Amino acid sequence: MKRLLARGAPLAAFLALWQWAAWVPISFNFPTPWQTVVALAELLGSGALLQASATSLQSLVLGFGAAILIGVPLGLLMGVVRGVGRVARVYLDLLIALPTAALIPLVILSFGINVVSSAVIIFVFSAPFITMNAYGGVRDTRPRLVEMARAFGASWGKLFTRIVLPSALPMILAGLRLGLSRAFLGLIVAELLLSPFGLGKLIMNSRSMFEHDKMFATVAWTLVLAGIALAVLARLEARLLRWRAA
Amino acid sequence: MTPLVAPEPAFGRAGFAAIAGLLVVWEILGRLELTMFVPSASSVAVAWWGLLTDGTLLRSAGSSFGSLLKGFVPAALLGVALGLAMGRFRTLREVLDGWINALMSAPLSALVPVLIALFGVRDTVVAATVFLFSFFVIVVNTMTGVRGTERSLVEMARSFGAGEAALFARIYLPAALPAILLGLRLGAVQAVKGMVVGEMLISLVGMGERLIYYGNTFLIPELYAVIVSVLLIALLSSTLVQSAERALVKWK
Amino acid sequence: MSATLGIAIERLSKSFGAVQALADIEIQVKAGEFLALIGPSGCGKTTLLKCVAGLLPADAGRIVIGSRPVSGPGGREASLVFQDFALLPWATARENAEFGLLLRGAPAAERTEAARRALAKVGLAGSFEQAYPAQLSGGMQQRVGLARALAVNPQVLLMDEPFASIDEQTRRILQDDLLRLWSEERKTVVLVTHSMEEAIYLSDRVVVLSPRPGRVHRVLDVPLPRPRETLDVRASGEFARLVDELWQILKKMQ
Ligand SMILES: Nc1ncnc2c1ncn2[C@@H]1O[C@H](COP(=O)(O)OP(=O)(O)OP(=O)(O)O)[C@@H](O)[C@H]1O
Ligand SMILES: [Mg+2]
Repeated sequence: MKRLLARGAPLAAFLALWQWAAWVPISFNFPTPWQTVVALAELLGSGALLQASATSLQSLVLGFGAAILIGVPLGLLMGVVRGVGRVARVYLDLLIALPTAALIPLVILSFGINVVSSAVIIFVFSAPFITMNAYGGVRDTRPRLVEMARAFGASWGKLFTRIVLPSALPMILAGLRLGLSRAFLGLIVAELLLSPFGLGKLIMNSRSMFEHDKMFATVAWTLVLAGIALAVLARLEARLLRWRAA
Repeated sequence: MTPLVAPEPAFGRAGFAAIAGLLVVWEILGRLELTMFVPSASSVAVAWWGLLTDGTLLRSAGSSFGSLLKGFVPAALLGVALGLAMGRFRTLREVLDGWINALMSAPLSALVPVLIALFGVRDTVVAATVFLFSFFVIVVNTMTGVRGTERSLVEMARSFGAGEAALFARIYLPAALPAILLGLRLGAVQAVKGMVVGEMLISLVGMGERLIYYGNTFLIPELYAVIVSVLLIALLSSTLVQSAERALVKWK
Repeated sequence: MSATLGIAIERLSKSFGAVQALADIEIQVKAGEFLALIGPSGCGKTTLLKCVAGLLPADAGRIVIGSRPVSGPGGREASLVFQDFALLPWATARENAEFGLLLRGAPAAERTEAARRALAKVGLAGSFEQAYPAQLSGGMQQRVGLARALAVNPQVLLMDEPFASIDEQTRRILQDDLLRLWSEERKTVVLVTHSMEEAIYLSDRVVVLSPRPGRVHRVLDVPLPRPRETLDVRASGEFARLVDELWQILKKMQ
């Protein structure tokens, strides 16, 4: 209870600050928290928000799914075949350092303004991180365990499925979480720039029509949506890694 | 235009081979003229040189660096300060930890429209985005560094009569320094990402505006040249912090 | 030359929440005595030492060093030596040896001088001064830890398993060096150890603590002749007999 109160304090402080900022007003058309909540209720009631979310999540599932399906095996391959790892590592480092948003105009030019484009953007935002973590997980396998398994005469396949994969699992899962966070980031940037659909469109449209309360509501909704998705993934991760808790 | 900057210590002969290979393949693909969206490496180099000599690149980079500094310096100062405090004081940590972690992985790009509502379409928005993108990583790393301080070092100092100030200056800060510098390095990379996102969304100044412009006008080699430049800025920022790291952390 | 001080531990009790670590500890350490503390893991040896150093407040009872009751950390009478050495990784050997004086606000010249002298005492003069801990072996690191403790010129040395993480050969050399230092400097030493041989070889008396909550179970006198470092005491039948007696005490206590 006391914990909950302490954790809620920053939120209360933030809302108070927001209320004050709207009351001054710090900028014209800066809605109060309450106006934002009302707008949020309206948007939910009309179904506009849910529809936009569904569109956004569609490209998210496409892009993030592809990033997992390609990133994890690629990372595992990099970890197992040293030569591949050493070379691919260089490109990964560059892709991770690269401000990925810079690639968006190029993606739009190549794929057009559509869901595929936005999925591709999400893919390039998240895949390098997923790959890197899978690679790191394999590289961090304790040599002792490998030696032990080989001393028992484990075949290559057994070694991989019984030792390497479980050792790498925590980092792979952490990579998925990181990747999902990056995927949301890419999704929002892409939609804000592309604008013809999804949550980004809702944000940009509200802005251009000076319905700032709706814009704030959509932004808040987006952050909460991402927060929930990430929390669910973290839960799943904790479930799968129960053996680490001891 | 080859990125000669090492992103990782592991960058050695394999690194150069990988980069050289990339350039060769890129050049061949470009020469084959499969699609206009993959121009040859040499044509990108020519475009890059053109942008450099006519001053476009320097003008945009100047504006970008301005926003980068305006956002990153406060993020570094406040981030380290908050991280130290959170590492040291349990109550503060319990109150803020969850929020800081949530915000670190939140899609903060969604806040750019809010920042525009707040500041108008100005480069302040870019600086604010830079701040948001880099602040939380710095906080979390600093806090982790402080928390990782060996207990026995603290006890040792206390046994010689160290008070809170001496503990901070002589134990916690130096013990956390490697983690702080790592946080600043990650923060610098994040800062450049925030800079590009902010600039692209307000589409008014800096490298981000150039990206949008060349994208809209189908100047593909120029678009590539700016992408490469942005990558170079990111690598440069992280390398700068890394050399500070090498200079400051000599004992490892 | 300051007078050597004894330590009086009177009816000391200490709990961590529901866990009682120490109960009614009563120990008198004579001035200039070398006392060893031994007991099962978790019986409160470290806790006792931290109480003496003032790092932990006692729940009941009191501790007096010389004539001053211990009331908090930073007292000038005692110095701690740690099992994991507790060296600052970012500081050179000399800077580490100076650290206690630095915290006590001694001027730079005096610090350097005292640290040099202390390092020389523990056999680390010259080029080692500028080495970082990571460049030193475990034995040398603990020498630095010892030098840091000696540099503030304490009357009492409190050592928590100082040689536990050091290999056997180096440990024997360090034990002999410690005995030599102790006889030259006439300090009062309280040394916690898990090694029965070490307790018998070094100390005048061994205090055996019982399992948690730690109480004084037995006190064993060690009437071996000194200087033991030159007399080859380890080879004597008396040494073996005392080690065995200590073993019997510990074994029966389980
Ligand atoms: N800060 C603390 N908080 C809670 N419990 C503690 C704390 N310090 C020690 N204890 C507990 O008090 C008991 C005594 O601990 P202490 O470290 O003094 O034992 P020890 O005799 O030094 O053991 P060892 O031989 O393993 O070093 C243990 O049960 C330990 O778990
Ligand atoms: Mg102990």
